[in-house]
Amino acid sequence: MSSIEIPMAMSGRAAPGITTFRVELVRILVLSLILLGLAWVYGKNPFILNILAYTFLFAGLSSAWNIIGGFGGQFSLGHGVFFAIGAYLTANLYLHFQISPWLALVPAAALAAVVAAAVSWPTFRLKGPFFAIATMAFNEVAFVLANYFETLTGGPRGLSLPFKAGLANMIFTNRFSYALLMLGFLVACLLVSAAVLRSRFGYYLQAVREDEDAARAAGIRVLQVKLLGMALSAALTGIGGALFAMYLRFVDPPTLLSLPDIGVKFALIALIGGVGTLYGPLAGALLIVPVESYLRAELGGMVPGTNLIVLGAVLILFALFMKRGLIGAGTALWQRLTSARPEGGGGG
Amino acid sequence: MSTFLNILVVGLLLGGIYGLVSIGLNLIFGVIRIVNFAQGELVMLGMYGAYFSYWLVGMDPYVSILVVVPALFVFGVLIQRFILQPLQNESMMQIFATFGLLLLLQNVILAITRGTGYTVPTDLSTVVIDIAGLKISLVRLIALFAVTAVAVGMSWFLKNTLPGKAIRAVTQDRRAARLMGINVELTFMLTFGMGAALAGLAGTLLAPIYTMSPQIGGNFILAAFAVVVLGGLGSVWGAFIGGFIIGLIEALAGYYLDPALKHAVWFLVFIAVLIVRPGGLFGIAGAEEVGLREQH
Amino acid sequence: MIGTVTRRLVLGMSAAVALSLAADTQVQAQETFKIGAINPYSGPMALYGDEVTRGYELAAEALNAKGGILGRKVEIVRGNAASPQEGIAAVEQLAGRDNVDVFIGTYLSAVSAAASEAAMNYQKLYWDTNALAANLTERGLPNFARSGPYAVSFADQSVELVTGLLAEALGKEPKDLKVWIEHEESIYGTSIADRQKEQLEKAGVQVVGMGAHSAKAIDLTDSILRARDAQPDIWINTGYVPDGNLLLRTARDQGFKPGAMVLVGTGDTRETLEALGAESLEGILIVSYPRPDVTEQYGPGSQAYLEAYRAKYGQDPLAPQSMTAFVGLKIMAEAIEAAGSAEPEAVIEAAKKMDKPLNTYETGYGAKFDDHAQNVRTPPTVVQWQNGKVVTVFPVAAAGGNKLVAVGKQ
Repeated sequence: MSSIEIPMAMSGRAAPGITTFRVELVRILVLSLILLGLAWVYGKNPFILNILAYTFLFAGLSSAWNIIGGFGGQFSLGHGVFFAIGAYLTANLYLHFQISPWLALVPAAALAAVVAAAVSWPTFRLKGPFFAIATMAFNEVAFVLANYFETLTGGPRGLSLPFKAGLANMIFTNRFSYALLMLGFLVACLLVSAAVLRSRFGYYLQAVREDEDAARAAGIRVLQVKLLGMALSAALTGIGGALFAMYLRFVDPPTLLSLPDIGVKFALIALIGGVGTLYGPLAGALLIVPVESYLRAELGGMVPGTNLIVLGAVLILFALFMKRGLIGAGTALWQRLTSARPEGGGGG
Repeated sequence: MSTFLNILVVGLLLGGIYGLVSIGLNLIFGVIRIVNFAQGELVMLGMYGAYFSYWLVGMDPYVSILVVVPALFVFGVLIQRFILQPLQNESMMQIFATFGLLLLLQNVILAITRGTGYTVPTDLSTVVIDIAGLKISLVRLIALFAVTAVAVGMSWFLKNTLPGKAIRAVTQDRRAARLMGINVELTFMLTFGMGAALAGLAGTLLAPIYTMSPQIGGNFILAAFAVVVLGGLGSVWGAFIGGFIIGLIEALAGYYLDPALKHAVWFLVFIAVLIVRPGGLFGIAGAEEVGLREQH
Repeated sequence: MIGTVTRRLVLGMSAAVALSLAADTQVQAQETFKIGAINPYSGPMALYGDEVTRGYELAAEALNAKGGILGRKVEIVRGNAASPQEGIAAVEQLAGRDNVDVFIGTYLSAVSAAASEAAMNYQKLYWDTNALAANLTERGLPNFARSGPYAVSFADQSVELVTGLLAEALGKEPKDLKVWIEHEESIYGTSIADRQKEQLEKAGVQVVGMGAHSAKAIDLTDSILRARDAQPDIWINTGYVPDGNLLLRTARDQGFKPGAMVLVGTGDTRETLEALGAESLEGILIVSYPRPDVTEQYGPGSQAYLEAYRAKYGQDPLAPQSMTAFVGLKIMAEAIEAAGSAEPEAVIEAAKKMDKPLNTYETGYGAKFDDHAQNVRTPPTVVQWQNGKVVTVFPVAAAGGNKLVAVGKQ
C-alpha cells in the first residue's frame, strides 16, 4: 500500500506514479461515458437496465463507504444507518410536505453526516474489528428503534410512496431513467472520492489508516480527520438511501437495515474490487451485482437456496485467488506485463 | 421480590446460552484474530448434526455430542487449513471468506431440508425443576453447567498443557512463538478446530431448546460478538461472565421495559461499556490494538 | 419440481438433467400461457415460498388437464424474491426476458408491494393469493387483485372465535373475557394484532395487554411472564414457527396455562408437534389457512387436492398455504377466461362480476371481490390440536363432527 509517499505528498505536488486529480477527472468522464453507452445499448431491455441501475447505485454507495472504510481504514459495518436516514427523511418529506426528492437530498445528506459524526465521536476510540462490531451494533439498535417508534418510519408497516411519474418526483416509468439517475450518483461519488484522494485531507486519512500514532506524531489531528471522513462518507450514503427510496417507492426496516443486504454489502463490494482504491468499489459492483442477479434469476427457481450456495462458493474462491481484489489483481498483472519486476500491491 | 428473583434466574440461564455460543468464537477471535462471521453457522451445523444423529439412529442429543463435536473439530481444522490459512495477513479477506462460508453453509442446509423447522426430542426437555415457585428448565440448566465446565476445562487446558501453552504463546506474540519453535500454523488449526468443536457442542446442547432453521445461527452471532468483545478478547472467563451480563440485561429489560426493546438496550449498554473500556471488561488493556497490527 | 425451468437455465445445470428438461420445454415452448410466480425461494421464508408455488403448479396441472387458460397450456415460471428490490428484479426478469402473461404471488407482503407496482410498468396483471398486508388492496392499483384472505380476515376470524366458541366454552360473557394479544414485531404480526385489539375492544372484550417480540429472539420468557402476570382467560399469538414454538415451550415451563391459547397463522404443522409433543399441544387452537381435512361439503375437492399433492410431491403439504394458492390460481383462471384476455383492467373487471358463494372451492372460499379487488369470501378456518392431530373445529360446517376439547380446564 502507499503509505510511504505521505510526507512528500503533503507538498501538494504529485509524487511519481501518482496521478493528479485532473487525470482522474478525465478517467472518470471516460468511464461514465462507457457506462452510459452500456445503459444505452441495453436501453430496450429492462431486465438488464434494472441490474445496471442497481449496480450503479451500489457502486456509488460502496465508493462512499470506501472514503472512510478504505482510505481511512475504519471498517464500518453500520453504514446502513446513514442509508436508512436518507431514505426515511426523503420519504417523509415527500409524503407529508410534498417536497421534491431532489430538494430532499440536501437535508438527507446533512442529517446523515451529523448523525454519523455524533455516533462516531465515541466509537472512534475503538480499533479494527472492535470498531466494526460496534458499528454493527449501532445498525441493530437502529433497526429496533425504527421498528418500534412508528411516527417517522411507519414502523413494521413501512412507508409506501404513491406512484406519480415525473422528473420532479424522481419517479419514472422506464428503467433507463433510473439507470441514468444512479449513474449520476455513481459519478458524483467517484468525483468526491477522487477529490478526497488527491487532497491533503485524503493523505491525512491514509496516514491515519497506516499508523495512527505516527500520524498523530506528524501533527495530524486524528480524531478530526476521521470524523470528517465519516461525515463525508455518510452524507453520500444518505443521498444513496434517498435515491433507493424513490427507486423502490417503499421503505421498511428489513429492507433498509438488513446487515447482509445493506451494511455489510457496501464493505463486501469494496473488498471484491479492491479496498482503498479509487475504482475498486466500481469494479466490485460491476462484478458482484450482476453475478448475484444472474444467479438469482437462473438458479432461483430450483432447489431453495441454490443461488446463494453458488454465490457463497464464488466469494470464498474469490477471496482465495484474488486477495487484493480486482484492482489489485489487475495492477499486479499490469506490472508483470510491463516490467519483469514481480511487485504486488494496489494503487493508493 | 419473587418475580425479580425469577427474572434473575431467567437471565442467568440465558447467560449460559450466550456464554456457550461465545466461548468458541472468543477462542478463534482472540488467538487467530479472525472475525469469524460463520461461527453462528457452525452452531447451526451442530444443531442439525444432533438432529441428523437422531433421525438416523434415534440418538439422544446428549449422546450425539460424542459424534458432532469431533466432526466439527475436523471441519474447523479443514476450514482453517484450506480457507483461512492461505489468507494469513489478509484480515479483511478473511472476514470476506467467512461471509462466503456463512452463505454457503446456510443455504446448503436450506437446500437439503427445504427450511423445515426441526426439533430434537429428548425426554429431558419437558422436565422443569420447581424451587419455591422458581421454574427452571432442565435443558437450560444443563447448558449452564456445560458452559461452566467448558470454561473451567478451557482455562485448565490453556494453563497446563503443552498445546494450551502454545496457544497462549501464539496469542501473545506470533513471531516470538515461532522463534521458540512453536508451529504457528498447526496451533491455529488446533485453535480453529477447538473453536468449531465448541460451536458444535453449543449446537447439540441447544438443539433440544430451539426449533432449528438454517438461519438460526444469525440469531446468535451478534450476541456472541457482543459477549466476546464485552468480556474481553481472548479471555475465557471474560466470555463466560460477558454472557451472563448480556443475559441479565436482556431479561431485565425485556420484563421491566418492553420485550420489543430489549435488543436495543443491551446493544447500547455494550457500546457504552466498550467506549469506557475499549479492551472489554476483562481484556488486557490494549488487547484491542493487537488485532489491528499485522503480525508475521 | 423443476418442471418450470426455462431453456436458458439449461446453461447453468448439469448436462444430464438439462437434456431431459430441454426436450420437455421445447415441445411446449410455443403458445404457452406463462405465469410468473414471485415468491422467496431462498432465505428464511423459502419453505413457504416453495410451498405456495407448489399450489400454483398443481393448479396449472389441473387446468392443463382441462385445456389450459384461453386454450393455451399453462406454464409456471419462478421468480425468486426475498426482498422488495428482488421483487422488482424478478418482475423485470419475468416480464422483460421470460415474457410471462401475468404475475402471481406472494408469500411476503413487502415483495408484493414493490413487485406489483413494477408489473404496472408492463401493464400486466398482478394476482395475489397469499400476501397479508391490508394496504396492498387499499392502494387501488389497477392491475392488482387478491383472491385469498389477508390480515383482516385472520384477525376477524380470531375475534369471532373468541367472542363465540371460546366465550361459550369458558362460560363467560364477552365483556368478562380477558385477552392478552402477543405478536411478532414485523408487519405480519403487527397488522393482525392491531386489528384484533380494535375488534375485540369493539366487542367489549377486555384486552389486558399486548406484547411484541422479535421472531429471532433467543429467549421469550419475558413475554410469557408479562402475559402470565396479566392473568388472561385467552392468550392469542400471531407469529412464525420458531418463535411460536419457543413461546409455547416457555409457557409450559413457566406454568402459564390460560383458559385457551390461540395461535394465528402458524403452529398447525409437524414442526410444532415435534417441538412440543402431543400432550403439551392438546387443546391449542390455530387460526389458519383452510387445510385439506375440511369436510367435502365445506371445501369440495379438498380430498382430491390432497391426493394430487401427495402424488406429485411424495409427501403431505408442509404448510396449509399451498391449498389457498391453488385455489387462488383457479379463481384467476376463471376471471381471465371470463375477460377473454389477460389484460389487467379487463380481468379485474371480470373478477368483480364474479359471485360465487362460500364453499365453492377446495378451501371453502367463494369469490366476491370488493371495490379494491379484494376477495371478501375467504374465511380462514380454526383448527385444534387433539391427540397429536390437527382437526378443524370452526367454522362448524368445516368441522364435520369435530368438537372443541380441553378448553378452560385449569
